[in-house]
Amino acid sequence: MEVMREVWEMAAKGAVAVLVCREQIPCNPCEEACRRGAIVVGEDICTPPRYDPSRCDGCGRCVAICPGMAVVLLDRSPGGGRARVTLPYEMRDAVEAGGEAWALDAEGVPLGKGRIVRTAKASRKDAAMLVTLEVPEEWSLKVKGLRVRVMSLEAPQEAEMPSRDEGRTVCRCEEISCAEAQAYAAMGFRSLGALRRYSRIGLGYCQGRFCQTMLAGELQEATSRTPEEVGTFRVRPPVRPVKLSRLGGEDG
Amino acid sequence: MADVLSSEVVVIGGGVIGAATAYFLCKEGAEVMIVEADDLSSGASGACDGFVSLQTKQLGGHLEMARESSQLFPSIVEELEVDIEYNRCGGLMLARTAEQLKELKARAKKLKAAGLDVETLSPSELKERLPDVDKNVKGASFCAEDSQVNPYKLTLGLAQRAQEMGATILKGCKVENIVVTNNRVREVDTSLGSIHSRRVVCAAGTGSNQIGKMIIVDIPILPQRGQILVTESRDRLLDHIVSGAEYLGTKANLAEFMPEDEEAQKLGLGFTAEQTASGNILIGSTREFAGFDNNTTPDAINAIARNAIEFLPWIKDLDVIRSFAGLRPCSPDGMPILGTVKGVKGFYIATGHAGDGICLAPITGKLMSELVLDGETSMDIEPFSLYRFK
Repeated sequence: MEVMREVWEMAAKGAVAVLVCREQIPCNPCEEACRRGAIVVGEDICTPPRYDPSRCDGCGRCVAICPGMAVVLLDRSPGGGRARVTLPYEMRDAVEAGGEAWALDAEGVPLGKGRIVRTAKASRKDAAMLVTLEVPEEWSLKVKGLRVRVMSLEAPQEAEMPSRDEGRTVCRCEEISCAEAQAYAAMGFRSLGALRRYSRIGLGYCQGRFCQTMLAGELQEATSRTPEEVGTFRVRPPVRPVKLSRLGGEDG
Repeated sequence: MADVLSSEVVVIGGGVIGAATAYFLCKEGAEVMIVEADDLSSGASGACDGFVSLQTKQLGGHLEMARESSQLFPSIVEELEVDIEYNRCGGLMLARTAEQLKELKARAKKLKAAGLDVETLSPSELKERLPDVDKNVKGASFCAEDSQVNPYKLTLGLAQRAQEMGATILKGCKVENIVVTNNRVREVDTSLGSIHSRRVVCAAGTGSNQIGKMIIVDIPILPQRGQILVTESRDRLLDHIVSGAEYLGTKANLAEFMPEDEEAQKLGLGFTAEQTASGNILIGSTREFAGFDNNTTPDAINAIARNAIEFLPWIKDLDVIRSFAGLRPCSPDGMPILGTVKGVKGFYIATGHAGDGICLAPITGKLMSELVLDGETSMDIEPFSLYRFK
């Protein structure tokens, strides 16, 4: 906690590293990257690094090189309730100064949007790019990641219903058309399983991943039964085609 | 649906045995109702391979039934509208050791004496029928009458044909009670209502025990799990149905063919392979008692795969796309239970076919029809009586 308070106070004057690493794993690139000896792992490569913020000059080399993304830079010098956090960013999509990005906490949950004030390519090829994000000061210690892409999952679009054009193929593996599927569904099967065994729809390579919804729809329509009553295909291993030799223990 | 349902005969179970029984009863002009708790072929008949194998049957009545059944298939093929993919392809049983081959030879002699044409093949003769068989296979027995069929299509075809001849099929209809008064069956109470009937055939497969309890009779049936792998579809690779001698050991509990490996014994592992009309190869199989658990298990899947590669090395390059497991109704001696019940007139049992349901369905249906309508059968079914266990 002492270190944390020191870091917080130092950050009011300019960028300083915030190092949160508890992993007892063999890892020490941060020690190597730090030219000022602020980070020390020592001989036992499995001990978590010891960090002395008073030696840190906020160069950011440790941020870019840490494979665990356990270091960020904190800079509270802008004042006015704003702070700048510099994070590693490994995606290759367009991140530009002046744009916006979502600031994420350690769990990946968005805290809110921040302004991108600076981007810097790392000098070493294997290190991540650094992005500096300006956010409200109260979040600044929580920010552990950023996301630039549109959050498409927040508002899923309505899936388009497959067409019931008669000539359309329902089961691609067994090459069965919509008209044939409709004829099978009208034969009086109660369950999707029974319909599958007889018609072979969903018995091919995909095991019904692509055709199940359409077939269930046809059966519901033909029998006026609910999706629960019609049921689903039972998925048995293997979930995708696998050579018999692998199941037999050879090659794997 | 009418307030009061009635039928001359009620068949409990819409599997292959129930469907065949209904089919033969309808052919004789009987009024039949099939009562099925789920859907047609939703039990053992919907989770099996299509072996119609004669040489794997036990000598005696069992083999006799299989031979009669085999002779009924061609006429069934003619009479059904559905193509049941019947193929009289012949069956090979492979011997992995010299001892097994010797035993197969001795068995072939006995089968021949019982009237079944079985020959033993030397490795070179075997290669003509099954190229690329593993070089360690010492020979095989071959039965030309062994065949294959699509089990779902057989079940559905028989049910459909029975329906055309007047049978009613009630699906999703669970039997809740059987009313017996004055030692005679009077009524079958179901989830869809009561059915007045003086004749009830129990063809409920693994559910037979439950049905028996309703008339206070113990029908000793245990679910026996069988697991099978399905490969991708290919052009013709197998011209015959193929099994290993150990399959016979685990199936008929014959010591001379039992697998040596302890794990294989526990799984009831026996090699089978057939290529279906759709081109997929079904590779089997196991015989395990695991209650009503019909999940496939990694142990069994691996054991089946390993075993298959030892017989047919080329099979290792095929893609496995699915696996399945089914529960077969198994009696204490692995043979069917057929016939009447003492003290309950009008109750008939046709169950316990274990892994032979598809093969024995035609003759079982015919015999049950004779028993229900005439009270006597064209073949002696005494060896299959429920009372053999007492």
